[in-house]
Amino acid sequence: MFTFFASAEFQTVFAALNTGFARTLQLFFVTLVGAIPLGLVISLGSMNTWTPFRFLTHLNLPRPIRRAGGLRPISLLCRFLVWIVRGTPLVLQIIALFFIPSLKGFPIWGGSMSGRFAAVAVAFIINYACYFSEIYRGGIQSVPAGQQEAGLVLGMTRSQIFFRVTLLQMIKRIVPPLSNEIITLVKDTSLARVIALQEVIWMSESFLKGNQGYAGLIWPLFFTAVYYLVFSGIVTILLSRLEKKLEFFR
Amino acid sequence: MKKTLSLLSALALCLALAACSSNPPPPGSSGPSQPAASAPAASQPAAADSDLEYVKNKGTLLVGITNFDPMDYQDSNGEWIGFDADMAKAFAESLGVTAEFVEITWDYKVMELNAKNIDCVWNGMTLNDEVKAAMDTSVPYCLNAQVLVVPADKAAEFENLTSLEGLNVAVESGSAGEDAAEALGAAVIPVAKQADTLMEVAAGTSDAAVIDLLMAGAMIGEGTSYANLTYTLNLNDIQGLESEEYGVGFRQGSDLVAAYNDFWAASVADGTALATGTVYGVQESLLLD
Repeated sequence: MFTFFASAEFQTVFAALNTGFARTLQLFFVTLVGAIPLGLVISLGSMNTWTPFRFLTHLNLPRPIRRAGGLRPISLLCRFLVWIVRGTPLVLQIIALFFIPSLKGFPIWGGSMSGRFAAVAVAFIINYACYFSEIYRGGIQSVPAGQQEAGLVLGMTRSQIFFRVTLLQMIKRIVPPLSNEIITLVKDTSLARVIALQEVIWMSESFLKGNQGYAGLIWPLFFTAVYYLVFSGIVTILLSRLEKKLEFFR
Repeated sequence: MKKTLSLLSALALCLALAACSSNPPPPGSSGPSQPAASAPAASQPAAADSDLEYVKNKGTLLVGITNFDPMDYQDSNGEWIGFDADMAKAFAESLGVTAEFVEITWDYKVMELNAKNIDCVWNGMTLNDEVKAAMDTSVPYCLNAQVLVVPADKAAEFENLTSLEGLNVAVESGSAGEDAAEALGAAVIPVAKQADTLMEVAAGTSDAAVIDLLMAGAMIGEGTSYANLTYTLNLNDIQGLESEEYGVGFRQGSDLVAAYNDFWAASVADGTALATGTVYGVQESLLLD
């Protein structure tokens, strides 16, 4: 067994898988950095109560028009986006985002590896931001209204109440559901190979067909599980530490 | 309240449908939806519409490939080699540009081509009806056949078979191998990739697999994870069919096809095609007439 790990075959495959996993990690972190703030924007958008047509409700007009006066356009738009993104497979979103602009004559990505990475990263950020936004919304709405009233009584401004009262308590509540999504993200990165982003599973599959003098190797494909397990293990430990740190809110 | 809700959902649905109808790429109708730049060069020989000029101007020929030993694969330095890769480099040189290799997902080769992410598909591609309908293809340069892959210790049972009835045979979905296995009466198990069919046989979940002869030569036998597999029957022979042919695919209406055909004829004439083929052990399969 030990001699296998020392063999040239293992060394070659291991080096190739490491290159692939570096790309997997890159995608993972870029997605998190983009989706965590964007998710908050979408979640605030979907809770937005701006009703520009309210005046309609006071006029003597047919009932449907008066009702339409209660529309909240920003909220509607955000919820529509969340519906589209959560309602279609991520793999389809990646393919659509990468191919449709180029097929319509706007080659914004190009065919290079960095272009493919950019397209995949945008698709992942939008997708995960939508899932995160619903987690944030749940967290924000779970903070009792009494807390905000207490803030008002203390003379805090609306933004002070949001950042120092609501957001702070919401962070603690959303860590467990967010951990779920983050661990799913570790494994979802494997979908990127649909547009030939050479992440770790793509690299392992290259040894099935022939790469660097090795062909017909099955074990690299299954060996990728080790990478995912180790990494999601580290992520789990870090997230549970974060959860412990936030316990003082109790 | 209920009315408003139904109104809203109807509106949302309309929007979604409108978005959908304009969104999906038309894989079947790729011809009419192509950008004007790739309009048929034959009818509009203006320089602006020439694919050849487009490639020359940008200075690179983007070659769409997958990892496919012995046609396109990487050596230990990460350099792309193989019969197709070497010929692609020589073709690019003849145009005065450099060849760049882009690994693609095989299922999306037509989309990659029409999106101009690549300029040609050059990867041991069998010239079947689907390929010919979606791309403009070169003259065939190499022969291929479908072979039956079986466990080596059972190879004797499969000799001299004339039909595959009663056998579970793994094939790549949509491949020439699937057609051959079906024609011979096998219970077909379609999987995503040729490489996956071998896993089926090795695991015993299928009795046999049908894959390309050239691929079988590289992927099974000693030094691979499939040392106990072997290939026996040439299914094209059994069916009395012609062998399949490999060709290079270009965008529809591209004048690169004519440029390639001239290049191939010249390589055959001066012997470089045969010499390159000999390096990778495919000299027997080349079409050098």
